[in-house]
Amino acid sequence: MSGIEINRRDFLKVMGWSGAGVALAACDMPSTVTLEEGKEEVTAYILPEEYVIPGIGVYYASTCQQCSAGCGIHGRVREGRVLKFEGNPDAKINYGKLCQMGQGGVQAHYNPDRITKPLVRKGGALVEASWDEALGLIKQHVGPESALSGDKFAWVTGTVSGHQAVLLQAHLEAMGSGNHFVHEVINNAVGQAVNSDMLGETQPTYRFDEARVIVSFGADFLGTWMSPVHFATQYAKFREAPRGILVQIEPKMTLTGANADLWLAVRPGTEGVLALGLANTLLVKHKRDASVLPAEVQEMIARYDLDTVQRITGVTGDRIVKVAGWLDSQSPSLVLAGGTAEGQEHGYETAAAVMLLNIILGNVGRTIVSSGDLPYAQMGPKSGNNQALLNFAETVEKGGLEAVFFYNTNPVYTAPSFLKLTDKLNSVPFKVAFAQFPDETAMRADVVLPIHSPYEDWGTHVAAYNGTQIGVQQPLMEPLNPTTHGFGDLLLEMLKLRKAETYGGFADYYAYLKQAISALPVELAQPARLHDAQWQQALQTGLIPVQRSARAISAKALAVNLPDYTQNGQYPYHLVPSPRLGLWDGRHANIPWLQEAPDQISKVVWDSWAEMHPATAQKLGVTQGDVVTITSDQGAVEAKVYIYKGIHPDAIAVPLGQGHEKEFSRYAKDRGVNPLKVLSPVRDAKTGELALYGTRVQIAKAGRHEKLVKMGGSEIQVGRKLVATVTADVFRRTEGGQDVA
Amino acid sequence: MSLKNILENWSHYRRGIEQGGHHKYEHMWGMALDLNKCIGCNACSVACYAENNLAVVGHDRFAKNQVMHWLRIERYWDEPDLDKVSDSTSQYQEHGASFLPMMCQQCNAATCEPVCPVAATYHTPDGLNAQVYNRCIGSRYCSNNCPYRLRYFNWFSFYESSWPAPLHLQLNPDLTVRDKGVMEKCTFCVQRIRVAKDKAKMENRKVVDGEFQTSCQQSCPTTAIVFGDMLDPESKVSTLWRTHQVELGKTKQAKQNRELRGYRVFEALNTEPKVMYMERVREV
Repeated sequence: MSGIEINRRDFLKVMGWSGAGVALAACDMPSTVTLEEGKEEVTAYILPEEYVIPGIGVYYASTCQQCSAGCGIHGRVREGRVLKFEGNPDAKINYGKLCQMGQGGVQAHYNPDRITKPLVRKGGALVEASWDEALGLIKQHVGPESALSGDKFAWVTGTVSGHQAVLLQAHLEAMGSGNHFVHEVINNAVGQAVNSDMLGETQPTYRFDEARVIVSFGADFLGTWMSPVHFATQYAKFREAPRGILVQIEPKMTLTGANADLWLAVRPGTEGVLALGLANTLLVKHKRDASVLPAEVQEMIARYDLDTVQRITGVTGDRIVKVAGWLDSQSPSLVLAGGTAEGQEHGYETAAAVMLLNIILGNVGRTIVSSGDLPYAQMGPKSGNNQALLNFAETVEKGGLEAVFFYNTNPVYTAPSFLKLTDKLNSVPFKVAFAQFPDETAMRADVVLPIHSPYEDWGTHVAAYNGTQIGVQQPLMEPLNPTTHGFGDLLLEMLKLRKAETYGGFADYYAYLKQAISALPVELAQPARLHDAQWQQALQTGLIPVQRSARAISAKALAVNLPDYTQNGQYPYHLVPSPRLGLWDGRHANIPWLQEAPDQISKVVWDSWAEMHPATAQKLGVTQGDVVTITSDQGAVEAKVYIYKGIHPDAIAVPLGQGHEKEFSRYAKDRGVNPLKVLSPVRDAKTGELALYGTRVQIAKAGRHEKLVKMGGSEIQVGRKLVATVTADVFRRTEGGQDVA
Repeated sequence: MSLKNILENWSHYRRGIEQGGHHKYEHMWGMALDLNKCIGCNACSVACYAENNLAVVGHDRFAKNQVMHWLRIERYWDEPDLDKVSDSTSQYQEHGASFLPMMCQQCNAATCEPVCPVAATYHTPDGLNAQVYNRCIGSRYCSNNCPYRLRYFNWFSFYESSWPAPLHLQLNPDLTVRDKGVMEKCTFCVQRIRVAKDKAKMENRKVVDGEFQTSCQQSCPTTAIVFGDMLDPESKVSTLWRTHQVELGKTKQAKQNRELRGYRVFEALNTEPKVMYMERVREV
């Protein structure tokens, strides 16, 4: 930065700290590392190499990038190789814990199918090229001489936050473009829209540990909802004496459903009706105070008496009465909506109906509390959704896009076929993929830039949920391949093409981050002065504490308008494309551990399958392992049937993650199907988000039978005491909490 | 164990588990696993793959039960008749699933040990059921005798296919990659035990409860796994066994309070497992 005149406000903006003033906890000097004594300590990677002692594992702190939850990790490094990830005990997202996808991070890093050389398209095919050639092409197409600017340029990314988001935004501004499409298949966009409208806050904090009853409509908080490891740590407290009650309501059993005290199968898309039925029972039977609701909302709830709700949802009245009884007697409670409840044409209305329960039960302010505001809005997460994918496809179709940059997203794989994205992308003349793997999107780009794995790279991250610390991402080892580059470095290069006067002074992303973090907590009278202690502390702990400013949360009851259930004669079943804690949205299909790790529910490995209720199987005349064809108005997929009673008879569930093209990975090649391809163009009416669970299908026998490869022989215990179960009454008698009502 | 030793100490070697067995233990590593907290997420299992160099076998070999997962999560359904509906059974699995993480139970009276023709599996002074890979000849008698089916046989030289470069760089140098013809199983992360014991010895002190964790325990998002030395009466694991009135050296537990949740799987077989499970809980 030396020699560049820049005022303080601009400096803060460049560094990502602009916002509501300084709000950082004081930091002490890090304690001395004592590796010579043979102790395993967390250290900063920039310490000299003489600290590396053969045979001694050293732990470096970083941030997990296997999903966007932002868990803190410690990477164990020996002789210059990272061997294993552990959770960072100081991270307030995961408290030292880590899920299987996090564990699999090392296999993403060492993956044998990584791209190691830049690729450029020549005569229709991607061929290896030098960095000079690849970057030369980029300069030619999007550099200052190209005259490309404005909305002819777009970024398509997964969720981004921290300084990468700051630089990405700066690049968009430098290009004069407002086109940033942030796409995540597994998201909470509809719920966040409801939070925003009814609570005045996009993402409040849930106090699972305080709740005595949790009723979740499709929110798979232990598996795939926002921050599963964090929620699991909270869940453990919830299950301690006196032990809260968990009710899960959904058409297909999720991991959370598998741990519920009561799992209720609901007809897909009628979750909102059930929520209003519970509200009705609470107001009528339990005489809950209705004055918290406006008259129109009261009138609306009054229409959902027990008979109506039973008829529409398929859930029997005694179950509804039981759940309402728990909600009434155990306080505070927490009612959640997510996943299958939200991904409907009326997903917003459903989530809003669920939120009404929280208002009636007085949970807002008790188990649903404000997260406060991140003081550095610039660094806040840009959380992805599927609407961005739809918008991107529309933008491409409209024409005029001349250059698109892709990072950390694979829309060619995730886009439903009705979008015809693969074909449409041909009309974009210049596509660049910043990619670690030869995924479907990278293979259709014109230039592929091989980037470092997240565990060789620098970055900062702010989690969308529980973002009370900035997660520092630092290399856990030297880059495996000398020919890959850091994403931040490349982003900076792109910025230098357009704004050399501001960014030219930074040698690389490391230099930028170091200056940004060093400059962070103090009054910035001398911007160029480095505060080395701050930087050291950030590297050693992997975390920068932030004080989110306080904020009040208040509830506003809105009337909702839910449709009656309608049958579809031609397509009588509901398709549930179910996300998995494992392969996630398909991005982890190249990790052999995760392919071999059995699905938590069906225990199937290395494949796709279709979950079906025995009543449906009887009707169709299929048995386990029979192949069925599942056809929507957009196409068909085939899968072997797994039959069990954890799914509604009107639903058929096909997991996400498989069905990749062969270039992606040797581990994903020829494995299963991608149910996202057959989704119908159904959107949430209010927000425009794709209704992930709004597709109707027909099912037919394919006439084949194949072995369903899964773990374990017996599905039941056949009288052996393998897993014994006691009632919560016994638990409370022996382990405490029996005095609590 | 020389013949002279056996003859001179015959009565000592004849002591059954109710008399404390014939071993002289320095430590007795044991575990307590709370099924009220376990959510069946698989984090422990994959953490075990990462720590212990477990081979990935692939779809076709998995189908032949040649999988090498030392720690697997079994899942059972409450409702029988999975593939049909009838009036006598419920239409849904209304109480979710039953998850059971199963790793070597490190039995003190292990049925796998006496059948090994070459003493490749034996009991260590740490109370561990050890497997000496370079002594194993692959008779598979131990696997045949394990009532828990927790021993895994290397039918192939998995190093040829499971870690294509550069995946092999992830392998943990603290333990081996096993070759074809060798039996393997959960070791309670013996390499971590080794490091902790050496460190304690260098500092001239005892191993402190909680100073190291097994890989599965460290990963577990709900802290369902507790591990430690059962000879240390103050350790968390000892406390839990005591609280739940499950005792080593008993062929039948005489619980004062029958409602306490602690139990051992297949306890009636008298293999004296050192993993205590605490029963799953449901509201109704």
